[in-house]
Amino acid sequence: MAEQAMRPQMMGARVARVEDPRLLTGQARFLDDIQVPGMLELAFVRSPYAAARILDIDTGKARKLPGVHDVLTFSDCPYRLWQRTEYQVGQPALADGGVFYVGEPVVAVVADNRYLAEDAAEAVRITYEPLTPVLEMRAAILEEPRRVHAGAENVFFHRSHRTPGFEQAFADAPLHLTATFRLNRQTAVSIEPRGTAALPDPASGRITVYASTQSPHRMRSDFSEIMEIPEHLLRIVVPEVGGGFGMKANTYPEDLVVVAAAIKLRRPVKWVSDRMESLLADVHARDDIHDVEVAFEPSGRIVAVRDHLMADGGAYPAYPFSGAVGETSLAARVLTGPYHIPHLATEIDCTYSNKMPLGAYRGVWGPVASFIQEGIVDRVARRLAKDPAEVRRVNMIRPEQFPYRNAAGAVYDPGSYGESLERALDLIGYEERRRLQRLARESGRYLGIGISAFVEPTAMASSEAGSIGYEACSLRIEPTGKVTAAMGLGPTGQGHETTMAQVIADQIGVDLQDIVVLHGDTDSAPFGGGTGGSRSGPIGGGAALVAGRQMGERLKTYAAHMLEASFDDIELGNGKAWVTGVPSRSVSIREIAEIAYTDVKRIPPGLPIGLELVARYLPTRSVSFSNGTHIAVVEVDPPTGLVSVIDYAVVNDCGQLINPTIVEGQIHGGVAQGVGAAILEALRYDDDGQLTTTSLMDYLLPQATDVPRMQIAHLVTPADGEGGMKGMGEGSLIASPAAIANAISDALEPFGVLVDTLPVTPRDIIRWTAQSGF
Amino acid sequence: MVETTRIELLVNGERLTADVEPRWSLADVLRHQLGLLGTHVGCEQGVCGACTVLLNGEPARSCLIFAVAVADGVAITTIEGMNRAEGMTPLQTALREHHGLQCGFCTPGMVLTAHALLTREPEADEGRIREALSGNLCRCTGYQFIVDAVAAARPAYRKEEP
Repeated sequence: MAEQAMRPQMMGARVARVEDPRLLTGQARFLDDIQVPGMLELAFVRSPYAAARILDIDTGKARKLPGVHDVLTFSDCPYRLWQRTEYQVGQPALADGGVFYVGEPVVAVVADNRYLAEDAAEAVRITYEPLTPVLEMRAAILEEPRRVHAGAENVFFHRSHRTPGFEQAFADAPLHLTATFRLNRQTAVSIEPRGTAALPDPASGRITVYASTQSPHRMRSDFSEIMEIPEHLLRIVVPEVGGGFGMKANTYPEDLVVVAAAIKLRRPVKWVSDRMESLLADVHARDDIHDVEVAFEPSGRIVAVRDHLMADGGAYPAYPFSGAVGETSLAARVLTGPYHIPHLATEIDCTYSNKMPLGAYRGVWGPVASFIQEGIVDRVARRLAKDPAEVRRVNMIRPEQFPYRNAAGAVYDPGSYGESLERALDLIGYEERRRLQRLARESGRYLGIGISAFVEPTAMASSEAGSIGYEACSLRIEPTGKVTAAMGLGPTGQGHETTMAQVIADQIGVDLQDIVVLHGDTDSAPFGGGTGGSRSGPIGGGAALVAGRQMGERLKTYAAHMLEASFDDIELGNGKAWVTGVPSRSVSIREIAEIAYTDVKRIPPGLPIGLELVARYLPTRSVSFSNGTHIAVVEVDPPTGLVSVIDYAVVNDCGQLINPTIVEGQIHGGVAQGVGAAILEALRYDDDGQLTTTSLMDYLLPQATDVPRMQIAHLVTPADGEGGMKGMGEGSLIASPAAIANAISDALEPFGVLVDTLPVTPRDIIRWTAQSGF
Repeated sequence: MVETTRIELLVNGERLTADVEPRWSLADVLRHQLGLLGTHVGCEQGVCGACTVLLNGEPARSCLIFAVAVADGVAITTIEGMNRAEGMTPLQTALREHHGLQCGFCTPGMVLTAHALLTREPEADEGRIREALSGNLCRCTGYQFIVDAVAAARPAYRKEEP
């Protein structure tokens, strides 16, 4: 229809981002760019010991140094994370008599600038009595060499689950295998370090906290509850945030200290982490051991999986989300991935240790579960001498099984499981790759093809962004017809200002450039959960959609009244409302807005003054599953132990796409992080509990030359929620480590290698290939 | 208080003076003394490349250089000196069109590094672009769309034959 042509469809369009110009020209303002007159800077003295009693803290010399305003210890900041009773142990904002990991904040120095604050931090004298650190996960579970916290068992979370009839099914299966999988500590490493700035306003008595956080309202609640600051006197503002990846979903001890210092000194105070602090004290992730037993049939069909999931949670449960609990309990829920594996028995132990607390990093449980599940499938294939693709076909959940309840009780909404596998095999040219692999082997080159089919639980009722299952959008059409939306999301580069505007534009028929989307300011945004757990697209987008639709209905009511037409005959687009089939009978949204705000006698009966509303959207499902398949092609060089990822294909199904380009950008970034997870990144503690990877020369991130060119195809199985969107922020990092690990296993199949540890290092490869006698 | 030294820097074509401590990095002086906040500090270890500026047209890590050590007359270009008053350069426009940025924190350094590359090598191929950008870490994009954008900006750097 002609009218349709007048309405550009923004949903699904590859729109360039509204965020970009300010970022490209250096005009965007990140946390460290917040500078106000009188602002002081804070530096931390951190524990050099993994475990020690504090015998004395002498701040005298530090206090006398030039430019120093205050030196804070626990008594100045007597707050603990986890004051509620979920765990027996809560981290103090500053060490309270003892230290439990290297990097734990002990003293805070406030000075005129960071140089002076760091000078004074070096002048603080602390006397420690070192204790034996608890560093090894299996020993810690057995309370060896001792308890981390005298008053609490090391195992702080234990859970088990078993499908009825598990033991019989496991015993009856003709074939069995066992494996132990190890994931070594990694962390998100946003290129912008963490930071916090607190600005007390003496005029209003309020305090504004600039925070690089993903969940502004949750952080406001945290300050309010933990520090007993009335919530209405707190304002959290999230400036531009330079990457978060789950790591910025936590409230950290440092955040509490900065706020306490600002209140105490009645001055603006800022702290920005340096990179060494980031690696020491941004939440770590992926410290897991899985002891796995698998029962299967000669056809390749997997009957039962038993897994003892262990995770090293570090010294304290991170707040408000322990990564150890997340990585295990949720991994146990999706351990069967996209496969119909009827029987599952899981036992979980999360332990304390003298290491940095484990928190969220993109995918959380997903990359762990995927590494196990895809490792199992490849082991079955190897044992049966079958093609790994074929074993996946045999086990894949079939379309007629949706909605599918997996062996852990999680219900999958429909997806394109088998189809995504076949499309990915086509995209990579699987059979041809196999042929080239055989040829390469004949000439002594080791190519490998790794398949990783994945499920991605998204849009969950509860996630690292908190237990707020809904999102909210306030929508206001200003008197001139321009549109202001505000949301409680905390974007860290996902482009919500663009995607949310796309969703709204279609509903109210205005151009994208006439919509501004505010976020991350608790004074402007309605209460919401924030960004994390792949929820912003489906739940935030759903809220934007509902708000837009409600506003669209109000505009249509105006137009119907003004144009003397039926509500059902009104269409919206290009900033106008018109009668279907009669484009000349139209009224502009600006004219409607003028009536709504200034010529209020003309407002249609029953409508309120103004054009403003708040909509909240709570999905009916507690989780929606995206899915897809990744295939990696690698070349492994046994003499040097180096792995090159030379080709990569992704088939992704996240339901309806709001902006395919942004989705592809997310996938690219997640695959790059998967390259890091698979072959580069590891946080290493030595036998004394010292972190030895405290620079980006030791903790290696993927560079432009490490990441392959990726091919992406989209499949669309709409969710049944608003807009049909599923989340997709994490799937690419869920699937990619396993794809690359399996490709390495495949390349080194002549050496009998099956990767069981991430990351795979050159040393591993040299050891595996040198021993075999080839 | 610590002694400061008055220095003169040639930044984005302007002569600017600042009173600095000898130990202050060029990045800190650009940001906190001269208000050029587009230069970002990501690691202070010379690895991530977020603080990249151009010194006489060559990429340099401003976190590893003391401001007092910048020789007289060296032309410093920051991201603020890249874009003309009227909007964005073809390279910046290409980065937007190809979705070559997400959080944008590494972006100023990427823009300057890519600008230096294409100024010198307007025909740089994908491998060369990746190599030239390998000192600028990006955690969001996986680099592919950055590489595509830099490749797309090449024509703008080709000099017309006189």
